[in-house]
Amino acid sequence: MKPRIMLKVGSLALLAVLATGCNRATDVTVYEPGVYKGSKDPLVKMHATAEHKAQLQERLTKSQADR
Amino acid sequence: MARMKFLCDSERCIECNGCVTACKNEHEVPWGVNRRRVVTLEDGVPGERSISVACMHCTDAPCAAVCPVDCFYTTDDGIVLHDKDLCIGCGYCFYACPFGAPQYPQKEAFGVRGKMDKCTFCAGGPEGKDNSEEERQKYGRNRIAEGKLPLCAEMCSTKALLAGDGDMVADIYRERVMKRSTRPQSWGWLTAYQEDV
Repeated sequence: MKPRIMLKVGSLALLAVLATGCNRATDVTVYEPGVYKGSKDPLVKMHATAEHKAQLQERLTKSQADR
Repeated sequence: MARMKFLCDSERCIECNGCVTACKNEHEVPWGVNRRRVVTLEDGVPGERSISVACMHCTDAPCAAVCPVDCFYTTDDGIVLHDKDLCIGCGYCFYACPFGAPQYPQKEAFGVRGKMDKCTFCAGGPEGKDNSEEERQKYGRNRIAEGKLPLCAEMCSTKALLAGDGDMVADIYRERVMKRSTRPQSWGWLTAYQEDV
C-alpha cells in the first residue's frame, strides 16, 4: 500500500514541478526605439520648479559674472 | 525656459587644468577616466588657444541617438544624463560624440569596456534619492540638487569656463567681447546647440 501512495504523491509532485516550470514570465521589458526605460531621476521634478531655477541663476550671477 | 550650457572663453583660458582637477576631486573620478580635459590648439606657435572640453549637453544629443539600449535622457533644462544600469558599454556614443566626451573604465583584461562615464553637469544620475551614496559612487556628486553649478566653472580662476543658463552665459560672454572688442569665438556652440552666441 505504501509504495502506491508514494508513487501517487511523487507523480503529483512531478506534475506540479513540470506545470510551474513551463510557466512563461510575462514581465519582460519590450524594446521601443528612442524611449528611455531606466529609473526615474528625482532631479527632473526638482528642475521644473521656478524656485530651483532662480537659485541656479542667482548662483551664476554671483560666482561667474565679471566683477 | 532655462537651458543649461557650457561655454569656454578661449581668450581667457590659461591651461591651468584647474577645471580638470576640480572635476576629478569632486566626483572621485577613477584613474584613466577624464570627464573634462584641456585641449591646446596650435601649441607653441603664435595664436595658441586652450579650450576646456567635456560633454556639452547637446541640444540634439548624437550619443542618445545612437545608443542601442536608450540609456540617455535629457532634463527639462537640457542636461543630458544616462543610466549606468542600462549601459552595455558598446562604445557607440563615443564614436558619435563630436567632443569625445564618453569615457570607459577598463575593468577587465583584453580591453573589455566598463559602463560609460561622462560629465553629468554635476547633476548625478537616476539613482534613488539625490545625493545618495549609490548616486555618488556611480555618477559623482549632485551639486545641481544642492542649488549649485558645476564645480569646474565655479573653480575657474580666470572665469574662462562658464556654466549655467544659456541666455545668461551668452550675456556674460557678449559683454566681455564688447569690452575687449574682439570677435566672439564660442567654441563648440554651433556643433552642440546649433546656434552661436
